Amino acid sequence: MIEGRGTATGDPLPASAATRLLAASAAEGGDVRSIAPDELIARVERSGLRGRGGAGYPLAKKLAAVRAAVPASGREPLVVVNAYDADPDSPLSQTLIERTLLLVAKGAMIAAVAVGAREAIIYMHPRAEAARRALEKELGMIEGSLGGVLISIAVGPGGFMGGEESALMNLLESKRAMARQRPPYPAENGVQARPTLIASAETVAWLPQIVARGARADAKLVSVTGAVARPGVYEVPLGTTLGGIVDEAGGATGELKGLHVGGPTGGILAAVRADVKLDFDTLKAAGTHMGSAQVRAIPAGVCIVNEAARLFAYLAKENCAICVPCRVGTKRVQGILESAYSGLGRESDLAWLDELGTHMERFSLCGFGITAPSILRTTMREFADEYRAHIVERRCPTNTCSPVRSRRYETMTQP
Amino acid sequence: MSILERYTQPAEQQIPTVSHQGEIPSGQPTCTIRIDGQEVTAIPGEAILRAAQRAGFTVPTLCDDEKLAPAAACRMCLVEIEGYDRPMPSCHLPVQAGMVITQASDSLFKLRRQNLEYILSDHNAYCMPPCQISCPTHIDIPGYLELMAKGQHVEAARLVKEVLPFPYMLGLVCPKPCQEVCRRGLVEEEIAICQCHGYTGELVMEMDKAPTPFPQEPATGKRIAVVGAGPAGMTCAYYAALKGHAVTVFDMMQKQGGICRYGIPEYRLPKVKLDKELNSVWQLRDTEFKGGMMLGRDFSIEDLFTQGYDAVFLGIGAWRSNELRIPGEDLPGVIEAISYLRQNAEGDPVPVGAGMRVVVVGGGFTTFDCARTSRRLGANVTVVYRRSRKEMGAHYSEVDDAEHEGIKLEFYASPVRIVDKDGRVGGIEFQRMALGEPDASGRRRPVPIEGSNFTIDCDVVIPAIGQLPVLDFFDREQAVRKTKRETIITNGALMTDRPGVFAGGDAQMGTRTVIECVAQGKLAAKAIDRYLAGHDMAKVAQEIAEEEKVPELIDIVPYKPEEPQVRMPMLPFTERVQSFQVIENGYDKAGAEKEAARCLQCVCPDVGRCHLQRLSLEHGLTDNRFHRAEPVDYHDYEYDFSHDFILRDLNKCINCTQCVRICRDVIGANCYGLMGGGYDSIVTTPWNVSLSYTDCVSCGACAETCPTGALMMRERDLQTYELDVVRCIYCGDCVEVCPHGALGETPNFELSTYQRFGTTVLAKEELAVARSWKPSERIPLDGHEDMRPPEIRPPGPPRWGA
Repeated sequence: MIEGRGTATGDPLPASAATRLLAASAAEGGDVRSIAPDELIARVERSGLRGRGGAGYPLAKKLAAVRAAVPASGREPLVVVNAYDADPDSPLSQTLIERTLLLVAKGAMIAAVAVGAREAIIYMHPRAEAARRALEKELGMIEGSLGGVLISIAVGPGGFMGGEESALMNLLESKRAMARQRPPYPAENGVQARPTLIASAETVAWLPQIVARGARADAKLVSVTGAVARPGVYEVPLGTTLGGIVDEAGGATGELKGLHVGGPTGGILAAVRADVKLDFDTLKAAGTHMGSAQVRAIPAGVCIVNEAARLFAYLAKENCAICVPCRVGTKRVQGILESAYSGLGRESDLAWLDELGTHMERFSLCGFGITAPSILRTTMREFADEYRAHIVERRCPTNTCSPVRSRRYETMTQP
Repeated sequence: MSILERYTQPAEQQIPTVSHQGEIPSGQPTCTIRIDGQEVTAIPGEAILRAAQRAGFTVPTLCDDEKLAPAAACRMCLVEIEGYDRPMPSCHLPVQAGMVITQASDSLFKLRRQNLEYILSDHNAYCMPPCQISCPTHIDIPGYLELMAKGQHVEAARLVKEVLPFPYMLGLVCPKPCQEVCRRGLVEEEIAICQCHGYTGELVMEMDKAPTPFPQEPATGKRIAVVGAGPAGMTCAYYAALKGHAVTVFDMMQKQGGICRYGIPEYRLPKVKLDKELNSVWQLRDTEFKGGMMLGRDFSIEDLFTQGYDAVFLGIGAWRSNELRIPGEDLPGVIEAISYLRQNAEGDPVPVGAGMRVVVVGGGFTTFDCARTSRRLGANVTVVYRRSRKEMGAHYSEVDDAEHEGIKLEFYASPVRIVDKDGRVGGIEFQRMALGEPDASGRRRPVPIEGSNFTIDCDVVIPAIGQLPVLDFFDREQAVRKTKRETIITNGALMTDRPGVFAGGDAQMGTRTVIECVAQGKLAAKAIDRYLAGHDMAKVAQEIAEEEKVPELIDIVPYKPEEPQVRMPMLPFTERVQSFQVIENGYDKAGAEKEAARCLQCVCPDVGRCHLQRLSLEHGLTDNRFHRAEPVDYHDYEYDFSHDFILRDLNKCINCTQCVRICRDVIGANCYGLMGGGYDSIVTTPWNVSLSYTDCVSCGACAETCPTGALMMRERDLQTYELDVVRCIYCGDCVEVCPHGALGETPNFELSTYQRFGTTVLAKEELAVARSWKPSERIPLDGHEDMRPPEIRPPGPPRWGA
């Protein structure tokens, strides 16, 4: 699931009042400079647009915050469009740019006008080379300037953390992609201490039709991967059930064990919970989050403890290393999970994992560490019997685990 | 203005901050916040941590330095703030009026502790050496061994005497708890730690005046009465005297030494040398010994206070042997172990002689002292113990030696009755035992086997199954309480219920080892000193508990070539019978130095200065749950000791990034950065090259700010600096970067500036201009616009010693 990436196939769903993003036209929206910024922000607010980057923060609030921060700051505001697609299996921005070319740039321009910025940066992943070249070509034809806003492209470092908004700011300051403690939020103190609007490509891509027609932002791009017939990027109305999304991608290819929602830091829900709706608040209540909007169908033959260990191994490799709970914690959780499926588990490990999860949630610096324990929380809740089978009965219910460790974490006693 | 923003401002626009010790400057706008329910005045915009520190709160932190922009990396300073859904880093979050902050709570404590555990789990380095932890006195063992290996024996003795005033005595009689845990034992054989300090002790006792660890402090005018001249009492007297108090030591016996003189036989501890070593106490000012004075018989505790003593220490030992509680114990021929040893030590006639059959019951040190003494008097001796050899209290070497000297050992037998033959001892009947479940002490409890009785014929029975303190004087003492086990009750600061009366050693603990008594004597001296200074004793007890805690954090064993222990020259077994000659002959200089050099030095030089160690102790973390897994779970970096001044050990790095920030933002050399990704990230130089190949200016600021021992200044034996005036260009860089202020703007430096820049000594402002001069500009000098003054080689300051 981590290696490789989904292919961008499949057709957008019809049946929503708004034009689907993947079919939207960049020509829409007209000359927004004739509209007062306050009115722009009011229209965004009416559309109910929430950040598509995963956290779901209302965009109108962000726009207003940046705008409000400008006078006190005395610095030029800046718009950064996060088209990075940190989760390699969820190439939403890449697909969006490939399909609609200037739509994201147009949205960035509208956002820039709304906050009074003269500059916008589209921040992309090095892997999305074709999309970048196509966008560069389009921007070249308009000499990089759209409605008086200078639009440029920045390429990130690769890796999962490159998409985190504060790591992104450091990167644009030519620093290592490491998270920054917030507050201060980018809106007041962003790239080079400028008030910065950071929004995902999918979010700003809604702006042209919102401004032009007052469209309601009620659909979401998702990446469906795993054991489905036609994996790929789809656009679904917000509130579609997870089962509905799997069906959209051609249905499951076999019996499913679980649905992994939200990318590497998202939780794994049991397959029977296919009625959970894809929606910022519902997902949060179910113990996971929108995140990268990846819905991965996990087939019945996969061992969940092993799966959780693999996710934590990925996180231990990808974290930015600034804060202790993330840098060391992910590695230690990985170690405990690995010893659990290597036949070295102890019953006390479950409580221990719970304790480490709480610590990570409470003490981590950025969303990476704060959301990572959702993997533990959901799997330990929904697949408790699998954990018990590994730890107490020392067997794998799916017969797929082979030991990777011969020693587990112990307390030290002097010889 | 947020903190991050402040750091991006030019210096003159930054908010004036104050150091956490300092006051808020007048005119500075302030606001009020609440920390742990207490109102605190703070400057809006400053870090919460600064305000808390100024108000006297000690918020734990590992990555904070006032000079630096906050990193919020270590996650130790997180505090709960009302209105925030999770703890926020106080080093980073600016103060806003009306904030309600909790900096210390149970949940924060636990979370911080978890955080520390994580940090420690990837802190792959030695901390405290196990020998030092297991020694009750916590001697700096690697320290003195290193000094000995270098041949600096007097310094080594001084170091030992910081906590153990009698290294010679303990070198001979200590049960060596340190050696059992020595990490050298994992390579081949442990270090002969005790014999090594024994050697230094023997060496310095020949000096006219024994070296003291610290100079004796000026007289305080306080007087302390120490009752008992045994190991606890003498140690207490020694350290109390060093603190400047006048000390009188009372003892019921005529001579000093207590149980070490009257209990331990001559062949283990020669009394002439014991006296020489103990005399180091009387070499201190205001110390005196009053022998033949027994508490309860000749004076009472009240008398001591009446005589003007300000504090009393009771180190009266345990001189009454436990009884066997079996029939026939009052028969002639049953000897009390302690009196027997005492009589023998004093040269009095003893009821044991050549050819007699002696049975000693027990398994401790006293047992073997009695047995081996009897053997030397020509008796045939059998030692009977109810458990096995492994459970014996005596050191295994003692047991082995006894066997080699011809003493019979009988295990798993418990005495049932003493056989009466013609009105005196004729034998002793035993019952066989088997080992059952472990008891409270962890040793398996012996269980009798029915019908397995047997009798050993003998003339003398010596029960040596432990001793009790003689607390008869308690009948007349109020306010001092004793336990059911006849020991004196004290609090953690060793003070009894009666203020000013302290107790320690065997009388307080029950019979223990000499080294434990010494450790208590030292603690008592510390507690008495604080009592006399008027401290709150409940607090002192806490402080002492805190100071005595030691962390045991991680254990790695580096490869060392094998090299067996240097054997202690011993008296041959054949010569031991009929002779009380001392059996351990002591190392010679070469042997002692060779043995000391075997020490692995498995200790971090930063111990005691390390903030990680301090915080771990404060959070009660002396171990962690992430040990002993696969090698992939830990990092094992190579040291970089190539730099002339700065030692780098990445294994100890906790990625706090303080060195990165100070080198980049304060010094400007920018030598460090975070390299690698994820869990394998580490702060190091670019491409991990030697620090010598970076732009390092050797200022040491990184080592100064490093919270652990990852960056340390190389220890140097500097006599004097020599300045080569022909090569010095008076750049002043050394003065600017010296982090310790060791070089200042002395008149010499002014002089050099004068020599370089002009005809007069520059005023402060002109000096500033001269300093900011760049090579591309003309030198801005009044009246000398046209030319740079000719380069004159200055005569410079006189060479040292010239």
